[in-house]
Amino acid sequence: MSLDSPPPAGPRVGSDEWVARQAHRREYLPSWLGSLERASERAGWWPKLAAAAAAAAVLPLFGLGQFQLQVGIDALVIALLAVGLNIVVGWAGLLDLGYVAFFGCGAYGYALVSSGQIGANGIHLPSYLSIPLVMAAVAGLGLLVGWPSRRLIGDYLAIITLFFGEAFVEFTNNVAPSVLGGPNGIVGVDAIRLFGYTFTTNKSYYYLLVIVLVVTMGVLRLLDTSRTGRAWRAVREDPLAAASMTIPVNRVKLMAFAFGAAVAALAGTLFAAQQISVFPTDFDTPILILVYAGLILGGAGSIAGACTGALVVMVVYDGLLRSPTESGYLFYGLILLTLLAKLRPWRRLALVLAATVALGYAIHAIAAAVSDSAVAGGPHSAGLIAGALRDWVVVPASATVAGNWGFVALVCLLVALVQVSSQWRTILLPPTLYLASFVWETRLAAEPAITRQLMIGAILIVMMNARPQGLFGSRRVEALT
Amino acid sequence: MKGTVVIAATALGALALAACSSSGSSSSASGGGGGSSTQACVASIGMEGPLTGPVANLGQEQLHFAQLAVSQDNTANKTKISIVQGDTQLNPAQATTVTQQFTSNSKIVAVAGPAGSQEVEAVGPLMARAGLPFITGSATAAALTTGKYPTFFRVVSKDSVQGPQDAKYIIDNLHPKALMIVDDQESYSTGLVAAMTPVFQAAGIKVDHESVSQKLTDFSSLVAKVTPSTSVVVLPWQVAANAQQFGRNLAQQHKKAVIFGTDGLFSPGTFSINGSYVSSFGPDITAIASDSAIAAQAKAKYGAFGTFGPPVFAATHVIDEAIASVCKAGQTPSRANVLAAIKKTDEPDSILGQPIKFDAHGDLVNGKFFLFKIDSAGKYQLTPG
Amino acid sequence: MAFFFQELVNGLTTGALYALVALGFSMVYGVLKLLNFAHGDLYMVGAYVGFFVIQWFGGATSLSIPVPLLLVIMFALAAGLVGGLGVAIERFAYRPLRDAPRIAPLITAIGISFFLESAALLLFGAQYRVYNTPDFINAHSGITIGSVTINSVQILVLVMGLILMVGLQQLVNWTKLGRQMRAVAADREAAEMLGVNVNFTIALTFFLGSALAGVAGVMAGLLFNQVTSTIGFIAGLKAFTAAVVGGIGSIPGAMLGGLLIGLAESFVTGYLSSTYSNLLVFGLLIAVMLVRPSGLLGQAQLQKV
Repeated sequence: MSLDSPPPAGPRVGSDEWVARQAHRREYLPSWLGSLERASERAGWWPKLAAAAAAAAVLPLFGLGQFQLQVGIDALVIALLAVGLNIVVGWAGLLDLGYVAFFGCGAYGYALVSSGQIGANGIHLPSYLSIPLVMAAVAGLGLLVGWPSRRLIGDYLAIITLFFGEAFVEFTNNVAPSVLGGPNGIVGVDAIRLFGYTFTTNKSYYYLLVIVLVVTMGVLRLLDTSRTGRAWRAVREDPLAAASMTIPVNRVKLMAFAFGAAVAALAGTLFAAQQISVFPTDFDTPILILVYAGLILGGAGSIAGACTGALVVMVVYDGLLRSPTESGYLFYGLILLTLLAKLRPWRRLALVLAATVALGYAIHAIAAAVSDSAVAGGPHSAGLIAGALRDWVVVPASATVAGNWGFVALVCLLVALVQVSSQWRTILLPPTLYLASFVWETRLAAEPAITRQLMIGAILIVMMNARPQGLFGSRRVEALT
Repeated sequence: MKGTVVIAATALGALALAACSSSGSSSSASGGGGGSSTQACVASIGMEGPLTGPVANLGQEQLHFAQLAVSQDNTANKTKISIVQGDTQLNPAQATTVTQQFTSNSKIVAVAGPAGSQEVEAVGPLMARAGLPFITGSATAAALTTGKYPTFFRVVSKDSVQGPQDAKYIIDNLHPKALMIVDDQESYSTGLVAAMTPVFQAAGIKVDHESVSQKLTDFSSLVAKVTPSTSVVVLPWQVAANAQQFGRNLAQQHKKAVIFGTDGLFSPGTFSINGSYVSSFGPDITAIASDSAIAAQAKAKYGAFGTFGPPVFAATHVIDEAIASVCKAGQTPSRANVLAAIKKTDEPDSILGQPIKFDAHGDLVNGKFFLFKIDSAGKYQLTPG
Repeated sequence: MAFFFQELVNGLTTGALYALVALGFSMVYGVLKLLNFAHGDLYMVGAYVGFFVIQWFGGATSLSIPVPLLLVIMFALAAGLVGGLGVAIERFAYRPLRDAPRIAPLITAIGISFFLESAALLLFGAQYRVYNTPDFINAHSGITIGSVTINSVQILVLVMGLILMVGLQQLVNWTKLGRQMRAVAADREAAEMLGVNVNFTIALTFFLGSALAGVAGVMAGLLFNQVTSTIGFIAGLKAFTAAVVGGIGSIPGAMLGGLLIGLAESFVTGYLSSTYSNLLVFGLLIAVMLVRPSGLLGQAQLQKV
């Protein structure tokens, strides 16, 4: 479902000839998936965007609760940010680690002109005025922050922007507490009001965000294929070559910063209005990490990738992993999927699974025979999983220490699995799988909050290793200087 | 390779959808059935706190005490109350998401937390809309109990009471000519500093207001600024270990100033600088006979603890009792019933060594403070304030 | 004047610590061009290793072995274990990404950082673990000149930091291993063609860099006393900053950057304002970067043609 269908002929800007041909020659999947992929390639970008928008629009009709809507809103905000960051990082190739500060500036900007914070009665600008105003102001700030990019390249630019991001949090936390509120932030921000409609409910913000995201993606897609878009990618690939082809490199870089900042500011205004408040901690490094994770996981350089990656990351991190039951499904599901995808031929897979099941029952029987307390705990997972695993996984009565050692052993086993030959891997897999289940049921399921962080870390590592260019990214040959 | 990824992605998407819809349906389905079984008193309590992140020590302690309270009260009241964890990382946006998760889970009838005042500001309207009562054990900003959040309660007193009271004690008993007051850039701390500073200034004391991030662990350069005439350093901080380090730096640089800390510094075993004062909303629960069992249990199960656990124990206990009383009256423990029962709370004694009763805005009636002086053995001696 | 010297000592001590962390960060960057955001978490693991060594030998107040031996064991064990962990991370998470787009391992590094941080939280709990250094190293021992005090832990950190930095510099400049490291850093493929065992060299670089982080973690434990699962984040950030300001990939640059940041923080807090110290330090560093876009001791990158 790529928005970036390959152009009819010739290599694209940004991938060299060999890679481009390789992409064309890529093996078409034999079955219905292959025809689906070909059909989606023929369809062009806007029918796919429209289809995605329609899907997002009908989703709430399936009885999404307030929580699911909130996760949707969070995910859409991050997706909007990822799409904006894609301009700077994906297209122009500038490593901007202060991007979230623009998001924060947008949110604080909107909050200042739409609350009782300044003056006796406060400023309450109408939304159709305040949003463009804030976007323009933050875009200007983007120009200012992008200014060093004229001289600084690569990681040196990254550090300057990182300072900017950190400085923003410090600034809002410490400077002018009577205006910015210090750590207590600004509360009582006005709702967005457009065309006589006031957005108050979560559902209305969900739809507003879907519309804004779809429109932004459409506009950016047009921008991507414009002169400016081509110039960005030329600058990303080789500034020197771009300059020698009369592309104004510095201006093009600054434009990327400004556009990226404006999109972030837009996301910020919607965020502030939806949360009804802004606080410095809302714009700290964790958000930056989420946006980057989404963008890179989806594939930097692709609008669809940025959006999908961010949505996936947020739905997993903010939605599924918060609930112990669902993170259990995710844990076992991911393990099974990895096995399905990686273990060939199927006889080997069947062997490993059968061995794991047998091993489990054997260990459980032995443990139960040795002592009752060794199996007294019962799995921590609820529902289906617990029922299935009750007589299989050993859970001692007091499992913390055993679970901790199991965790350490599991990590060691996983590292060992990478090192050993394929035969040994087959032999080591059943105990590893069993140990994984043991650790989950004794320790991880009991600490959902910690496990959530652990899982997102593991998912990032595994996903990047499985597909370094991201879900929608294309392989590029990158020449290191 | 490509095929595998597509299959994996599709399957993952399907899994996500299935899980999403399953949670949606389970929460809506249980709405009707949750309270029908009157004999077994079943309910869930949401627990919001910074369970991970920079102040995980605070949140984990709160979680452990909430778990202790629930397991103890379940045995005593024959209830089946369970805890649902919600990690906020002391971040209002995350607290909002967690709160939406709790409000749309109809099994959850009350919430213990969140920890920070700014989080309460962010989630207050949502809780009010859902009619979900929430009791915090550590959010002390004065602005929270002006009546704008009708389902909000706290078992600790607000900083507009504590700040001036502490300041007065310092002026009357320690007689400083100049003092240093350091906030840790968190809502709790800046609130107390704002409440104390005017009192000091009115008494003609030279105040050096400093500020240092909670994440910082090196105070040597700040300590160097303590002048010989500065006889008191006020540290309204949340992290006791930081204050201990501050005290050590004072000693290393031969400074004689006395540390005066608030709630967060109350942590026997962690903060033990000889001669320091700590004003706390809770007494030393290890020194109260009726609490010794809980304290021993907490220490055995989770190790050393400080001041953030016991108030959450008290908050959770209030909720547990409210649920039990609703069940005893033959009603279903719904949010409205539990809210009404919490409002009627009148405990003559609590883990905090004082009665718990809420006023109309959810504040503790007659909240007391306890002042301790730390002796050379690191023991906390109760001092009449 | 005493105040000035006191702040100077404080700044130098923390600066030496930052410099050690930054050194490892910079070395890894040198050979892989990888911003290893998990580096700070290795420092955290090192600090935990030191804590458990103290516990193992009876705790701070009742040590069963002499203090110098304890220190040696702490540093050796932290260096060894954390170094090994670094090698494992490289093998497991970074090696498969060696030819991927540069930004991919960045996300992997963040993933590692999440993983290590929450694993520590899971295994060691959330409460602060305290070294209680003054119980076995007298806080008042040390040098006192006028009203300026340099306590023994500060001396230890300064001396060890200096030795390690000089030693590393010698290693990189004068040994065969150092030449191999420099060769890999300059051009991995060319080095491979000339017979350098690239995988081994990179693994060894990771070992050295991570071991330095582990040692720095123990020093931080001795100096600041408290250990918790999140101390790595700030340390990693400081290391990144120090390495870039000094000129990323340059070993003397990392040292200079670390010391500069330590001193800047100390003096800004002392003379200007603690509230705005971070803001002012950031401002100062931005100014440095604008004047010298490739860092203080970094070489201007060659533009590829």
